[in-house]
This record gives sequence, structure tokens and C-alpha cells, in this order.
Amino acid sequence: MLFGRNKKNPITIADKKIEKWSYSTCGYCSTGCSIEIGTNKEGTPVSSRGVGGADVNQGKLCLKGIYEHELFESAGRGSTPLIRSDFHEPWNEASWDDATGKMASEIKRIQSKYGRDAFAIVSTGQILTEGFYTLGKLARGVIGTNNYDGNTTLCMASAVSGYKRSFGSDGPPGCYEDFEHTDCLIAWGSNLPEQHPIIYWRMKEAQEKRNFPLIVVDPRVTMLAQNADMHLTITPGTDVVLQNSLMHVILAEGLEDQDYIKANTNGFEDLKKEVEKYDPTSAAKICGIDEDTIRTVARLYANAGAAMNIWTMGINQSTHGSDGVVGLNNLSLLTGNIGKKGGTSLSITGQCNAMGTREWSSCSGLPGYRALENPEHREEIGKFWNVDPEFFPKKRGMAQTDIFPAIETGAIKGVWLVGTNPMTSMPNTARIRKSLEKLECLIVQDSYQDVETTDYAHIFLPAALWAEKEGCFTNTERRVNIVRKIKEPYADTKTDLHIFNEVAKHFDQSKKMTFPYKPADVFDEMRHLSKGQLVDISGMTYDLIEKNRGIQWPYTEEQAKQGIAPVKGGKRLYTEDGVFCYPDGKAKLIPLPFVDNNEVPDEKYPFWLNSGRLVEHFHTRTRTGKIGNNNKFSPTAFMEMNPDAAMELGITHQSYVRLVSRRSDAVVMVMLTQRVPRNMVFVPFHFFDCVNRLTLGLLDPHSRQPAFKQAAVRIEKINQEEAAKINKEARKF
Amino acid sequence: MIKVRSDEPKYAYLWDKETKDKNRYGQNIELTEEGDERRNKSLNINGDDGIGDNPNRNKQHGFFLNADNCIGCHACESACSEKNDNPAHIAFRSVGFVEGGSYPDYQRLNISMACNHCDDPVCLKGCPTRAYTKFTEYGAVLQDPDICFGCGYCTWVCPYNAPQLDPVKGEVSKCNMCVDRLEVGLKPSCVSACLGNALDFGVVENIPENRDQAITEIPGFPTTDITHPNIRFQQKKQNHHEMTRTDSMPLKYVKDEAEGKYKATVDKKSGLEKHWNFRSLLTSHESAHVIFTLFTQATVGAFLMLILGESLDLLGFKVLNDYTIHMSLVATIFILSTIGLFKLNMHLGKPHRFYRGFNNLRLSPVSREIAGVSMFYTGLLGYAFFALFDNAFMGFFATIFAYLAVISGPIGLYFMYKLYRIPARPFWDHCQTGTAFLGSMLSLGSFIIAAVSLVVLPASALIELIPTLASIMAIGLTIEIVGHLVHARDMQRINNEGTASHYRQTTQYGKSYLLRNALLCLSLVLAVTISSTGLSGMLGMITAIILALSLMIASAFSRSLFFVLVIPTTMPGAFFWKNDGFVDHARETGLADAPQHGVVYERHHAFKLDELIQTIKENSLQDMLEHVQWIFGKK
Repeated sequence: MLFGRNKKNPITIADKKIEKWSYSTCGYCSTGCSIEIGTNKEGTPVSSRGVGGADVNQGKLCLKGIYEHELFESAGRGSTPLIRSDFHEPWNEASWDDATGKMASEIKRIQSKYGRDAFAIVSTGQILTEGFYTLGKLARGVIGTNNYDGNTTLCMASAVSGYKRSFGSDGPPGCYEDFEHTDCLIAWGSNLPEQHPIIYWRMKEAQEKRNFPLIVVDPRVTMLAQNADMHLTITPGTDVVLQNSLMHVILAEGLEDQDYIKANTNGFEDLKKEVEKYDPTSAAKICGIDEDTIRTVARLYANAGAAMNIWTMGINQSTHGSDGVVGLNNLSLLTGNIGKKGGTSLSITGQCNAMGTREWSSCSGLPGYRALENPEHREEIGKFWNVDPEFFPKKRGMAQTDIFPAIETGAIKGVWLVGTNPMTSMPNTARIRKSLEKLECLIVQDSYQDVETTDYAHIFLPAALWAEKEGCFTNTERRVNIVRKIKEPYADTKTDLHIFNEVAKHFDQSKKMTFPYKPADVFDEMRHLSKGQLVDISGMTYDLIEKNRGIQWPYTEEQAKQGIAPVKGGKRLYTEDGVFCYPDGKAKLIPLPFVDNNEVPDEKYPFWLNSGRLVEHFHTRTRTGKIGNNNKFSPTAFMEMNPDAAMELGITHQSYVRLVSRRSDAVVMVMLTQRVPRNMVFVPFHFFDCVNRLTLGLLDPHSRQPAFKQAAVRIEKINQEEAAKINKEARKF
Repeated sequence: MIKVRSDEPKYAYLWDKETKDKNRYGQNIELTEEGDERRNKSLNINGDDGIGDNPNRNKQHGFFLNADNCIGCHACESACSEKNDNPAHIAFRSVGFVEGGSYPDYQRLNISMACNHCDDPVCLKGCPTRAYTKFTEYGAVLQDPDICFGCGYCTWVCPYNAPQLDPVKGEVSKCNMCVDRLEVGLKPSCVSACLGNALDFGVVENIPENRDQAITEIPGFPTTDITHPNIRFQQKKQNHHEMTRTDSMPLKYVKDEAEGKYKATVDKKSGLEKHWNFRSLLTSHESAHVIFTLFTQATVGAFLMLILGESLDLLGFKVLNDYTIHMSLVATIFILSTIGLFKLNMHLGKPHRFYRGFNNLRLSPVSREIAGVSMFYTGLLGYAFFALFDNAFMGFFATIFAYLAVISGPIGLYFMYKLYRIPARPFWDHCQTGTAFLGSMLSLGSFIIAAVSLVVLPASALIELIPTLASIMAIGLTIEIVGHLVHARDMQRINNEGTASHYRQTTQYGKSYLLRNALLCLSLVLAVTISSTGLSGMLGMITAIILALSLMIASAFSRSLFFVLVIPTTMPGAFFWKNDGFVDHARETGLADAPQHGVVYERHHAFKLDELIQTIKENSLQDMLEHVQWIFGKK
């Protein structure tokens, strides 16, 4: 001691008395971090840490993962199944058998009265793959509705659609290791530090080793934009124009990779003809990026040894979302930047298992990236499941965003929501509220009873959460990783897999089929179905996955048999010429004409409304809103607004205002910052009764994903006390 | 020793190979000489007697922040809170930010800050209970919540807002440098968790790999003069000329282009409109201090006058020797002094640990203040008892106690003044603190005597006394007013947090401030009037009553302003977290009802008599004697 006490007191440092660390995979975003949960003598989860030897996160976790062990005891969990005849009535507790029985009889009633497709199922991107696969089996093979989709329509549908259009199949071709090799990185509408902090760290590590240029396309000065070498402050909804113009410069200056184009693509001439219209001088007027910058970026990108594009919701959540993805794929294909180290077109996915649902849930087709439209696929799956292939629809049905309007028109009478909260997550809350009120039967299956959507439900099924179950997630870079069960399901909750199996029991059709209860048995079915497919996971077992801290697909049975260990990371798709998923092995270069159909600011609604994510929250805050050490960083809704614009309107920092759009209004607290331009406000999307009261959500023609990020609003002053009250009442958690 | 897992990543290990001899302040980095008996001793972490094998164990360590890289992702804060099991409203490390420029040329500079384990830890020197220790191991400044009694003085003196006073537990806790991890060669949790490659840690003055700068000045970071903090920054990206704060502090940082340094200056965020702001002024958490300081100054002043008045040949004081009036005054002083001390003690987070207030007599002005005031109180109590008996034997004791109080009272008040001269609180660190305290002692002291005299004695007996008291009051008021004038002038000039306090004084509390000034002046005019004309008739009584009201209101407002206006040199906060404005809002609107908002209400803490009795039972007389010896420096 230099000063102070003469007698040394023992030092007390918090000791959580951890007895055991158990392996799992984080259940928040799709980065797919390996996580270890520490439990004490009583088996209570008390701590979380990143797994040191995991390739994805190398011991790191973001603040959500750091507190993930607190989820098990978080507030608002449902504990027992609930039933009521009308959503105005109080809930009655029910046994699982009664609840699933009631549910089955309602489904049968609706289907027999209004037709098979009058009952819709909307699932999520957050349950385990084994659950998704089983739900798919139940939806496609037993219930037989074609209106079955996931909430991934709100986040990754444009990426899926864009990949399918360009490459013939979904499946992101790149991996995190690409950061280590790239010579140019363009991030389109992706704010890694806020949305995917661990991927940001991987990028930063690579950048500190080898300083490659980073270009960020984003209307807001995010931390990533601020740290970028170039920041392109694009006009919302005009990415396709910028992409076309970049291609215009590349082709005009002969910077494309002709050999690669010839060997791997179709449609070059059509694309060339279309992009000829987008000279930088004209494009600059639409997309707001000056012509010199367009040329500089085009040259930098095309001349780089390896160049990669990453994107997130800035591209996807637009009426040109699918086109935006195709545009990025076009750029990659023109310059030969697919399937090579550091050269890729990589969607940075949102939910922990958005990839799992894309691969195995049968939402948009049949398991293993199979298509309903393909008779061989229907035959193959029908046979495997013991379902008459004729029972399957021959074409994909409605997407989530079409299902809700179909409730309005009366085409759909019953909905089963699994792990999704449209009252907060979907655009135009008022419209969603009206739709839900119209339903004859709404079933909500969720870990949390306090999700706002439950207010309109007739049956509530309390599900076990995250690591109260066992099974797999697939991450952004196609890595299958395992969630081990850390704790028994809370109260009388059941795993999703168990719930689906129980529901299936009430249908005669299921008697001919098998619905295994053990996750590993379900995984075996998936492995079998993956053989020879792009998404080949046949070489994987749970133990091998855990041992390798996740395995990137494809990893085949043959490889496993030959003793070829899975690679640590760096696995890519389309690494050889002519192996794309279209029958001729070639990718498509697709021309993208631009139509401006956005709701743009005008005199009545003079501000762009932009929305997005905060690092401390996940989706509709049903989890992070209850964890004080996450929630405290933004416990209530706010809006970023430019101080100059605020001064004109007499609006002050940290006061409440009323935002008004053509749909409705919302009360938010004002945060003045020059991070946003004068004609734009930014509101995080996590809060109930907030930004989605205002959003329009026009749908992308290909992916049916809503344009959350392009709407117009005006800002009005509001009585501060009243506003504080409104805000508080909306913050149940 | 904690267990290092087999797959611990490389970045988590400490990296210092070579170290320098001296830090930039000239202090040895090696904290003990070879062969020093303090080496190779266990830190006894959670009762574990192991000794770490870290080769740099006895060198001063510190954090390194590459502020250009910080992305504000909260991973460091969360890893820290998770490891230390902190509830949402407490954090040992926090990230705030300053911002500059105009869209799109906009910049946010995030600053992650915990304890800087300073060379000259003012927290340690200030803590009255001696809860702090600066260890030769790693130079870590550690605080023991089991010793702390929750006065929060360390949170006042620290320029970096490192110690955290928990309103729920009523105790302070802070960053412990993760010494348990250092012992096994690992960096602290926050550093290992960093996702921006911004935060690092090592032997101080060592620059991490791939970094080439180690500065101590970035916009928003307070001056290093106060404590010699062990933190180094890299911040090479050009900042904007003016960097603003998003929290409610009316401060921004403007670059002095000649010096190239950023200086704190006022940011007139809430305009120039003047408000009363009664609620936050009069119901602040510091109201206990308002009452304690005013009552103590008043009673010390009154007692000094009572005992010394006659011997100083003050006109009219002779009448106070009369038994009834004398004992009435002693009783009044005693009651008021008791109320002051009671309020002070009960504002503690752990009021039953009051006796620990003397532990740091060697270093802490708070301990000395407590000692002085306690001795005064003891003297007062003794005097009150012995003076009851009108005989020479008892009179002897009465005199001894009277002089005890007469000597220790001013000593207590002197240290009361000293303890507010905090460099990290420029609004207080001014002679005005002294003039206000001295002024109150004289004006309120004479007020007590005048008031009691007027109640007990007929006005005719007070013809000489009242003008004398009015003169003393006038002198006190003059001292206070002059102090305020100088203070206001200096605060506007110094251009730092004090200026920001003054801005609040003249806007958010502008009307209260003006009322205070007007009442002080009115009081002075009335006191001067009475001192020259005396009190006569109805008019005289009305004047006296107006003076009494005006003086009391002015004093309450003045002292409340003193406490509520101070703006420390703390780090910038964020929009919600570490934003006093949001904390107030959450408490006012009830958002704080939900614990996950990270805001809790201020609360009072019970005097746990059972804990006190248990302590007394568990400690022998010998222990207590040893404790006293320890206070006075026995090794």
C-alpha cells in the first residue's frame, strides 16, 4: 500500500461461484457467436462468456450476449397455456393437451369452412432449425396451408430473393474470413458497430492488419460511416441507381472481368444496355452522390484485387430491396468477385436463425432450399415424409406481408404466430391492429406472454426459450452451430419442437408420418435430406459441431467418412467456374430499371423517416427490454434530429415531439445531432407504439419485404407532461 | 487464483515486456524497492492466499484508450458490470461522447472511462472512513464497501466520476482494476471485451502494439493536474473546433487554437430564460448538507458570541450572563446543533457507521470537520450540563467544556470550508465558499442570540445588545455579499465548469438567484438600520420580523444554490446513460419505477442499531484502542 490502510483487508471481488461452463450459441443476431453459460452449484445460470477458441467470435461477445444468462429469469415469460373465446375475455389456464386440441379443432373448423389456405402460419427467424423443420413438416404435410411464412420477410427476404434471382439459389457465398483478404469493402446500408458488433470486430481486426479501403453507403453518419474512408450519403431508396451507375463506369472504362463473365454468367448484353442509361452525371441527380465520387468508387472497386459488398437492412427494407441485392450481385459478377478470397457479395443477416428458416422451414418452398414449383422436389419430400405429393401446393403462397392484407380482405380467418410480434415489428401498426381484431382465431406461441400481439390472441402457447432447448442455428456465413440445453424449460413451457409435435398429434394425417421428439433425430432427417444439395450438412453431428465450434456448410458425409475435418472458417460457395445453381451452372446478370415509387418528403410531410437498430436492443425488446444492463442505454423511444432543423421549428434537445405521417402519429424524445441530415429523422424500430405507427411499408415486388426506411413525416410540438405520460404508458417493458 | 481457460485468446493476455522507470509526472513506475516487505504478499482476494506470478506485479498499471477506435458499443461497460455483478443503475465503467461538425462532416468521439487509479488519489485522501487503499500491487486504488459509510465525498472529489454511490445500498463501490485477472496475467474484463480495438491496459507509459501515441488530453477529459491519472489516450483524428455534449450539462469543449488544447466552456443549452426551479432547489438530495452547514455555522457563531462576547467588550453582551437568558440560548444552540448533526448523520448511506467518520484524520478534511464539529458538540453538551449548576466547582468544568467548544468549533468550520475546496468542482473551489460560511456564522449566529433574547427579555433590556448584534449581522452579510460578487465575477471569467454553474445560476435558477440577492441586500439594509437606530416600537418589531424572514429565506436559498449548482469536471455522458437530465426526467415522470431503466430514486437509509450493537459486541476494548491508535498513525 502506498497510502491508506496499514492493515491489509482481504479484497472482495464479486464471485458468482461458477461450477460449470456449458457450450451454446448466442440466440440474438445471426453473427452466430459461440457462447458459454456459467452455472453455479444450484444449476442457476449466472454468467456468460464468449468461447475462446471459436472461429466466429474468438472469445468476444457484444453486450447482449454478455447478459444472455439473465434471459432465463427475465420478466414477462408465459408459464402455462392460455385459452379464451374472445380477446376481450380474460384468459383461462389450460393443459397442453386442451390448448393444442382446441387449436387443432379451430384450424380444422376454419379450413373446412373457408378453405385450407384460410388458416395462415407466420413463424420467425429465432427458433432452432429442428423446430423450423418440424413446423415445415406440420404446415406443408399436415395442416396443408400454403399461407405459411416467416418474419424473415421483414428482414432477409430481399437477400433471399436477390440470391435466388442471381445465382439460382439462396445461400450467402462469402464468409467472415473474407475481411482478411479483401482489397476493398463496400458496406451498403449496414452499420456493423450497432447491428453486428462482433462482425465489426472481425472487420476491424482485419483492417488493422492490412488497411483496405472501407466505403459506406448510408444516409446517416453512423460510427461505421464516420470511420470509413469514403461515406456516400445516398438519398433513401436510390441504391439501384448508384449501383447501375457504378456498373456504367465499370463497363464504360472496360474494368469488368470479361473472362469471368463469359465463364459464369448469362445476360451481360441486356445488363449493359440498361446501365448505359445511368451515366454518373444523370445518376448523381437521383441518388445524391456526386459524379466524381461515383467514378472514384467504381474504379476503386473494379481495380481492387478482391472486392466485397456487404449489406443489411438499408438495401433489403426497400421497394427495390431484391433489386438492390441483385445489383450488388451484378457488381460482384461483373468484376469476378464471387467465391474468391476477399471477393464476395455477403448479406449480413438479422436473426440468429434467419438462415435456418431459409434452409429448412419450408416457408418459401420445401426443406433444403427445395422449391414447391419443382415436381421432383415435391415428389422427393412427399416420399420422405409419407405425404401425398399432390397435397403440396405447386406454387409458393403468400408472404407474411401479404397474409395481413388477406386478413383485411377476409381471405384469411385464422393465424398462428410463432415467435414474432407484428404489433411492434410490422409497418403501419394501425392496420395490423385492425387485421388482428378481425381474426376468428389467433394463436400466439412465444416465450413471452407480454408480447403486444398477445392482446389479440385466443390461444397462447408458452414456449421454452433459447437454451432451454437443444438444436442448431445457422449463421450469416452458413455455419451450423449448436445450442445446448443449459436449463430445463421455465414453468410449464415446452420447446417449440415439442409443441409442433403435440399439435400434429391432433391431425389424422400425422399418424402416417413420423414426428420425432428428440432434436438429434430431427437433425438426422435434415442431414439425410441435405445430401447432394447446396446446403449439405450430412457430415455433421451435434458433437462434431460443438467440437468445431460450428461447421460451415457444405460438409458432406463423404468428407466426414474420409476423415476430412471441417475447416475452421473461410468456406465459400461458387469457388469454381460454372457451378451456380441454375441448370446451366451460370449466374444471371439482371438489368434493373429504376422506378421511383417511394413516399418522399413534401410540403405537408417534410422529413424523411428512417428507422434502424440499436446495439443494446434486439427486435421488439421482448428480451433486451427486460435486462437492465442492456435496456438502460436506451430505455425509451427517441428520435435523432438535425439541430438546424430543430431550431427552425423551435424544438429542443431532450423534449418530446409528436411525429405525424399519413398513417398515424407517435411520441418520441428528441435527440439533436448532426448525425442526420436536415430533412431526415431517425427513429429506432425496437419500441412498441412508436416508429411503425408511422411507416408505410410499400412491398418489394419480388421479395414482398416492406420498405421500412422510406416514409415521410412532419414534426409537431406536444404538451410535455402529456407526452411523458403517453411515452411511459407505452413502455410496459 | 482464478482459473485461466485453455482457449483464452491471445488478446486477453497482458503484453508488457519492457517498462519505463518513471511516468510523465516523475513518479516511479516500480512502486516498491527490491526487497520491500510489501512485495510477495498475497492480495487475499476473496480469502485466497495465493500470490500472482505477474512479473510486473509491483508496477503502476493503467488503461489505454484509442478514442479514434471507440465505437460506443457498450461491451466494456457490460463486461465490467457482468463481472462485478452490478445492478443496472451502477457501473464502474461508462461510455459517453462528445460530438462536433455538421452533417455529413459529423464526428462522434466516444470516451470509455473507469477509474484511472491515480498517482495522487483524491478519493483516498478525501474518504473519511479510510475505505480506500492504493496498493503497491499494480498501483490499483481499491475501495472497500464494507468500510464505507456512504457519505459520497469521494464521488465529489474525483474528477472522473469513478466512485459510484449506490442510492439503494447506501455505499460506494468502484473499479477494482480486475486485480484477480491481473494476478494470472490477464487484462481486465472491459479491455478483453472491447470490440473496437480501442481499450487496452498495461504498465503505465507503455504503448500497446500498433499504437504510437500516449496523450493525456482529449476533448471532454478533465485536466490531469488534480490527480495524475494513469490513463493514456491515442486520438489522432482531427477533431472539430467545437465538441458538444449530448447530456444535460451546459458544457462544451472548444479548441484553444494557440495552445491546441480543448477547454471546457459554457454551452447555453437551455437558453437565457430565468426560472424559479423551487422543486429541485429545495428538495435536492443535498438538503441535509444545507441544514447541517447552516445550523452548524449558526450555532458555532452564536456560541462563540455568547461565551466570548463580554470578554471582547461587545456592547450589551453583559445581559446574556443572566441565568435564564444564558441557559435559554445554550439550550437553543444545543437543539439547533443537534438537528444539524442529526441531518448530517442520517443522510449517510449507512448512518449507524457514523463512528468511522474519524478514521482518516490524517488526510481527510471531512474527518477533521467531523472531529471538529463533534468536539464542539461535546463541549456544548458538557457546558450545557455543568452550566446548569451555579457553583464554582461545576463552573470550572463548564469553563473547560466551553473552551473546548470555542476552540473546536472554528476548527470544525475551517475544515468544513476546506472540504468544499475541491479542484474537480470549480464552483466551490473559490474563496466565496469561505466568505459564505463565515458570513453565515456571523449573521445567523447573531440572529439566534437576537431572536432568543427578544423572546426571553423585554426590549428595554436589549437597547445595547440589539444594535451590536445587528452590526455583527451586517458584517456577516457584507462578507457574504462581497464573496458572492467576487464569485460571480470570477465564475464568468474562468471559463470552465464553474462558468457553467453560473450560467445555470442565472437561468435555470435565475429567479431564485435574484430573490436570494435581493433578500441578502434587504437584510443588510435592515441590519444596518437596526444597528444605527435600534429597535423601537411597532415599526422596530416589524423591521425585525422582516429582517428575520429575509435572512432565513436568503440563507436557505443561498446554501441550496451552492449545492444544487455545482457542476463537477466529470466525463461527458450519453443521451440516456450518465445524463443527469434524463435521470431527473425519469424520476419526475415515474419511468424510474421500472428498474431496467437504470435509474433509481434517492432514498433515506435506516440507522441499523442492531448492526452497531453487533460491532460493539464483536470488538473488545483492546480492538477499539488499537483502532484509535491506528487513526493516529500507528503502524
